[in-house]
Amino acid sequence: MDVKMQTIMSIKDLEKKLAQGDRKQAVLYLFCNFVSLLLITAYSAMMFSPTVLEVLPTGGDSRKQMIAVFVLALFGCVVFTVYASALFFRKKSRQLGTLMALGASRKKLAPGLYKEVLTLSGVSSFAGVLAGLPFVRILWGFFRLFIVDSAQMVLRLDYRFLFLSSAFFFLVIASSCFTAHRYLKRTNIMDVVHEEHKNEPVKELGRWCGPGGILLTFAGAACGYMAPSVYEKLYSAFPGAWINLFYIPVFFGLYMIMLHTVIHGWRSRKKNPYKNLIARSMMKFQGRQTVNNLLICTVLIAGASFALFYLPTIGVSSYLEVKSRSFDYYFHYRLDQKQVPTQSDIAAMAAGYGMGIRDYRESPYASLALDGYTYLFDDEKNYHIGHVDLCMEGKFFSESAYRTLTGEQITVADGTYYAVTNTDETNLPFLETNATFLTNMVTRKTLPVRFAGFAHYDMLADSFGYYILNDEDYDIICRGLTEDWLGSAAFFNADGKDSPAFASGFFYTFVDSFGPECEHTVQFSRVVQTRHEEAGEEYFYWNDPMFRISYDRPDDSNFRAWWSYMPKIRLLDRGDFLKTYAVFLMMFLFISIICILAAAIISYTRCMTIALNNRYIFDDLKRLGAPPAFLMQEIRNQSGNVFRIPALIGMSIIYLLYTLILYVNDGKITFGEAGGMAASFLLLLCIGSLFFFLYRYTIRQMAKQLNISVPKRKHYKHEKNNP
Amino acid sequence: MLHVKNLYKSYRSGSKSYSVLKGIDLTVASGEFVAVMGPSGSGKSTLLNCISCYIPFDEGTITLGSQELKGLDEDTLAKVRNEKLGFVFQDFMLLDGLTVRENILVPRIIQGHVGKDAEALADQMLSLFGIDAIADKYPADISGGERQRTAVARSLINQPLLILADEPTGNLDSKSSHTVIESFESARTELGATVFMVTHDSFAASFCDRVILLKDGCIWKNLEKKEENGAFHDRLLSEMKAMRRE
Repeated sequence: MDVKMQTIMSIKDLEKKLAQGDRKQAVLYLFCNFVSLLLITAYSAMMFSPTVLEVLPTGGDSRKQMIAVFVLALFGCVVFTVYASALFFRKKSRQLGTLMALGASRKKLAPGLYKEVLTLSGVSSFAGVLAGLPFVRILWGFFRLFIVDSAQMVLRLDYRFLFLSSAFFFLVIASSCFTAHRYLKRTNIMDVVHEEHKNEPVKELGRWCGPGGILLTFAGAACGYMAPSVYEKLYSAFPGAWINLFYIPVFFGLYMIMLHTVIHGWRSRKKNPYKNLIARSMMKFQGRQTVNNLLICTVLIAGASFALFYLPTIGVSSYLEVKSRSFDYYFHYRLDQKQVPTQSDIAAMAAGYGMGIRDYRESPYASLALDGYTYLFDDEKNYHIGHVDLCMEGKFFSESAYRTLTGEQITVADGTYYAVTNTDETNLPFLETNATFLTNMVTRKTLPVRFAGFAHYDMLADSFGYYILNDEDYDIICRGLTEDWLGSAAFFNADGKDSPAFASGFFYTFVDSFGPECEHTVQFSRVVQTRHEEAGEEYFYWNDPMFRISYDRPDDSNFRAWWSYMPKIRLLDRGDFLKTYAVFLMMFLFISIICILAAAIISYTRCMTIALNNRYIFDDLKRLGAPPAFLMQEIRNQSGNVFRIPALIGMSIIYLLYTLILYVNDGKITFGEAGGMAASFLLLLCIGSLFFFLYRYTIRQMAKQLNISVPKRKHYKHEKNNP
Repeated sequence: MLHVKNLYKSYRSGSKSYSVLKGIDLTVASGEFVAVMGPSGSGKSTLLNCISCYIPFDEGTITLGSQELKGLDEDTLAKVRNEKLGFVFQDFMLLDGLTVRENILVPRIIQGHVGKDAEALADQMLSLFGIDAIADKYPADISGGERQRTAVARSLINQPLLILADEPTGNLDSKSSHTVIESFESARTELGATVFMVTHDSFAASFCDRVILLKDGCIWKNLEKKEENGAFHDRLLSEMKAMRRE
């Protein structure tokens, strides 16, 4: 029996049925919105998490880095969702145009269109927000399970992050509605009908635009890097965050590089001008979107690399430093801290763990003030550099005490002093080498001095370091110092195999033996505090949350990195590196995963769009007799650029930038830093491999989409005369 | 039926303006089958798009039946397109998610009432154009000729005053082209339709009562058919040759 299908009776039914038919194209739109919201929610959940915030202090470089990469990820996700909605409407426009052409007014189409857009964007975005939270918890759980776990790693969430993801949620919906409005407002119906096949060529620039872009990128990077110091020199004030705008030329430079890639490519075609002609033309005619996509992916991959480099550079340097130590244990303390374990206490404690200690040596030092030049603030922002008598605090050994402690021979002339640094001389910015006199902070007696040079001993190269005086000078200047200005530094080795239990036990006992007057980070200086107090000024240290540490949390990364009296314990520093930096590691790994995921999805989507939009060209080529190998080569040429260029440029820029930063920090690349950069290079290889595998997967999917049977032969050789 | 008077249309590209239609005057009587031919860039499609109210025009008047099209608001223009005009496009413009039968009914659905009469009319046209066997199939599953016949049926469902066809045989082979032109003939004879067709296809145009030759935005010649299709086709070809030479 002939059964007629149920007749559609109203425009609502019609729209419903059309929406059902459009499910395939809606999937991409739903997926993009979902992923964007998921990533933003997950990232903002991490960013507002007290677990992370307590470790990354306000105003600290790592927090700035986290926010900077978040801005990049946000930017990427915005472009991603706008792109997805544009793609959805391009597909939808033919349907809209047909209905308009057949007499449906905009007023009649608007409710159905807005309803569909609101439903799709609302549901997908809401699902993304909902999925973001379990995503964070699962990922964090995996980190704890497979990489590192510590008490500090317990994930706590502050639900303020929902404000950020809600804002993004509304942004996605508003942007979708705006795109729908734009399509409906078009006066030329034929434009709406033919939107799907509209090309978006980029303006052709000469072959100079690629090299010009590279120059502009480097110039922008140099400009952005140097702008703060130039500003400080010119205006004697610290610039605000706006100074980062000087990095903007980098983006223009990158845009020009991408433009060159799309228009000209980077290989000379003089010998074979017809090589890859079809792929190049296809790319050129959809250039605007391609260039935008390449730029976003470059920025995201750069962000991912920047986040990833953080730990290898610290980790390798730390590993090499720990390995090269001449003693297993080093500690120092103020003489007024009477509970600090003595040599016999330590020996007894070691015996309790079934081990002994050897090579114990201890020498006294005195904390003195050095004069020098420093920033003197006229108001909150403006400063001038001026000379002060109480510039900074230094820990001074007498030459005989230094000899006893280190075994190094040194002779210091009367009225001179040496500064102790490490072999790589990386702590020079923290040492005062221009002091003209020292001050006893109790008697306020002074001693005229002159810098004589550096003594090298790695284990004493603290950030706020040690100095050496002639024995007579030391006696003269230290006369009358009270115990709180005197200290002692000690080294010892484990006799036989060191015990992790002893190392931990010693550390916790040592921390417990200190009073609240020593609960400070190395940035705290009683000399500077005295200077401020005497001038009736507030000492900045007390207002800065970056410097908050507590004896209650001796395992926190901030405590271990910055406590003024932090001992060096080889076994602990080696074994607990991951534990100490666990939150850093997790946070930056998380940032990288999000950025890489976003870049991977954008690249994949772009390639699939190329396949969809150019389907007819591939069909025509098939009709003209192009073999599958040739078609595959065209696909590879297109998608290769989409994956290769952002990965190469993003990773290279950050690699160079990081190397530059490490070099500029102290005017050299140390062995540890070189090791860190080598480890970072391995990570880049991993990202590169990931993108390579994704690229292989994508071209297989494109071939499937275009009904091309993948040939066994990998490359199609372009003959002098192409088919 | 259709009166076009002194029609001007220009496009802007950057700071330059290009005149495409330069004072077109033409009339199409009820029941007439008229074709417009001319080389690429002569303004054929622009003329059709202006009559379709798809694009606004600069000067002149277009009157459809008793209704002047200039100055109408968006809603009224949409109503004119829906009720007084029927459309057939080169690339069919069927909605992929709807069956052949549903596609035919789309203009009625837009109107808001699909009554028994509309369903009966759709059935009548399905059988008139020989596509009743594919009524429940989707556009992706049928041939180009069948798609275009579906489009012709769709253009007639609201019994418009005028059918506007833009290169209706442009994407078809000669056999399918023939059946589509026959569909227009049937629509005219069976349903009294008036057809205004833009085409490059001299064979299709030879079926028309009249062919307007357009060159550089002006009417070059108005050719009435007085002979058989074959002879008219030959005359069309020689006139086209002469137009190109001039």
